[in-house]
Amino acid sequence: MIDHAVIELKHVFKQFGKRTAVHDLSLTVPAGEIYGLLGHNGAGKSTAIGMMLGQVWPTSGEVTLFGHDVTVHRSQALRKIGAIFEAPAFYDYLSGRRNLEILSSYTAPTSRHRIEEVVEWVGLSGRENSKVKTYSHGMRARLALAQALLPNPEALILDEPGSGLDPEGIHEMRQTIQRLHRELGLTILLSSHLLHEVEQLCTRIAVLNQGHMVFEGTMASIRERAQWVRLKVGDFPSAVSTLRQAQLVSDARDGSLIALNTGVGTDQIVRTLVQSGMPVYEIAPDQASLESFYLSLMNGKREAN
Amino acid sequence: MFYLHLRNELWKLFGKKRTYIGFGAFLIAQNGMLLMFRFTNWQKNWARLLAGNGYLAQDYLSALTVALVMLIPQIILLMPLYTALVGGDLVAKEAEDGTLRMILSRPISRFRLLFVKWLAGVIFSAVLVLALGGTALAFARIWFPWRGMFVYSLWPEHIFNLLSVGDGARLYLYSHLFMTINASTVVGLAFMFSCFNMKPAAATILALSFLFVNLVLEHLPFFEPYQEWFLLYHFRVWLLIFADPVPWERVAASLLILLAFNTTTFLIGAVAFQARDIKS
Repeated sequence: MIDHAVIELKHVFKQFGKRTAVHDLSLTVPAGEIYGLLGHNGAGKSTAIGMMLGQVWPTSGEVTLFGHDVTVHRSQALRKIGAIFEAPAFYDYLSGRRNLEILSSYTAPTSRHRIEEVVEWVGLSGRENSKVKTYSHGMRARLALAQALLPNPEALILDEPGSGLDPEGIHEMRQTIQRLHRELGLTILLSSHLLHEVEQLCTRIAVLNQGHMVFEGTMASIRERAQWVRLKVGDFPSAVSTLRQAQLVSDARDGSLIALNTGVGTDQIVRTLVQSGMPVYEIAPDQASLESFYLSLMNGKREAN
Repeated sequence: MFYLHLRNELWKLFGKKRTYIGFGAFLIAQNGMLLMFRFTNWQKNWARLLAGNGYLAQDYLSALTVALVMLIPQIILLMPLYTALVGGDLVAKEAEDGTLRMILSRPISRFRLLFVKWLAGVIFSAVLVLALGGTALAFARIWFPWRGMFVYSLWPEHIFNLLSVGDGARLYLYSHLFMTINASTVVGLAFMFSCFNMKPAAATILALSFLFVNLVLEHLPFFEPYQEWFLLYHFRVWLLIFADPVPWERVAASLLILLAFNTTTFLIGAVAFQARDIKS
């Protein structure tokens, strides 16, 4: 794997009138990563992606792709980038092939052989000459992928690629992203609010909240962050109260999760509860999910505000 | 690469069904006028007018004469409407549909993209005008013979001229160049508005409103001394080349003004497009 930055934002601000859509955003997408951009609707994800692609002008700050400033050297910066947007738009009255010819030619002339190769890779063979208006949602998603792959990109920017797809389509899209990373070695930036999707795909994430970046780090670091223990007992509030009195736990939530104090083991928890006459049905370390991490992050920010 | 981009724009433009709606509307209007000329007193009145001036009607009530009769109202009324519709779509429709965002994720400069779109608009104007003139002549030829040309117009310019079949055909062909410039100017005007952040219909309406305001102001007595300040005054050169003698000085001045107007609208559009954010 190469260790240089493919996408880099440095202290980027974007204002629309009086509203600040992106506030002092700095992030780096290293080569070879699947990088997730998370956030609620209006958090600034699409604006950030727009700035990466030179479609939205940053109010201040610097956006570089492969080391080229996208606002100054647009052609060099975007040469090795492919992009897919939420609800990809095409010329519905033209065939899939013609759409591919048109869109890819804005990067470089593309041979017929290359188009056929990519059409086969995305699984559109046999339908490429049909008009796009006859395509299903899933076929449009494949066509979007094909247009992004045609110029042989080294990085893909995917803005809500699973949006509007049925569960089967989402599964297929997830598998395709994994294939792109594994087989073609592409660096991928994925914006989504499907937490499960991001959790399964991404190696690194950034979380945006109202234009501010509130977290940036690897998925591994998220999993290690909170050491929660899942506890199944008959009366969870009483058990927590007992454990608090014994100074064994620092926190509890969701009716089944407890946070142990430093140096406390699960054996002590079981012993204390059994001695207090409470049967323990299950106790096991709980791996923090991205969802719980994301919600705790958002709740923390809400309380801070 | 430039050729590829231009080819793309032409594929997009001529691949749409709505591109041809206007052609259809023109054909219907042309045939309507042709039937009116053939079967109402219109033809008799013209024959009387020719006879009153000492000419034989049978020598000049020809395909060329009738084709021009059919073209005048179409060029003045229908063509601006239709070209404004196409010009207003060129950028704004792509922005509205989301395809502009797909294009602008590619390494193409906004200026180049705009330039090929504008050029496609000019090519469309030429095709439209040639089709219009060609079908007018073809339909007129079905009912009328291939003879000399009688040019008679009271508005927007007062012209009375008689031409041999050769001269008439030559001028009829030349007039298409000037009509293309007019059509391109309207396309360019709507195109300029469509470069701003607005719906395609809004760009079309603004362009048509601009032309309508021009038309109204130009005909107010107060503005009579300032006629050359109005765009539509310069649109009339296509008709003036049928005059005898042709006022070449005015034709040249109008052409220069139309050229400057086209350049200005393109540049304003390009600056607006360059500065705007393209969002979904």
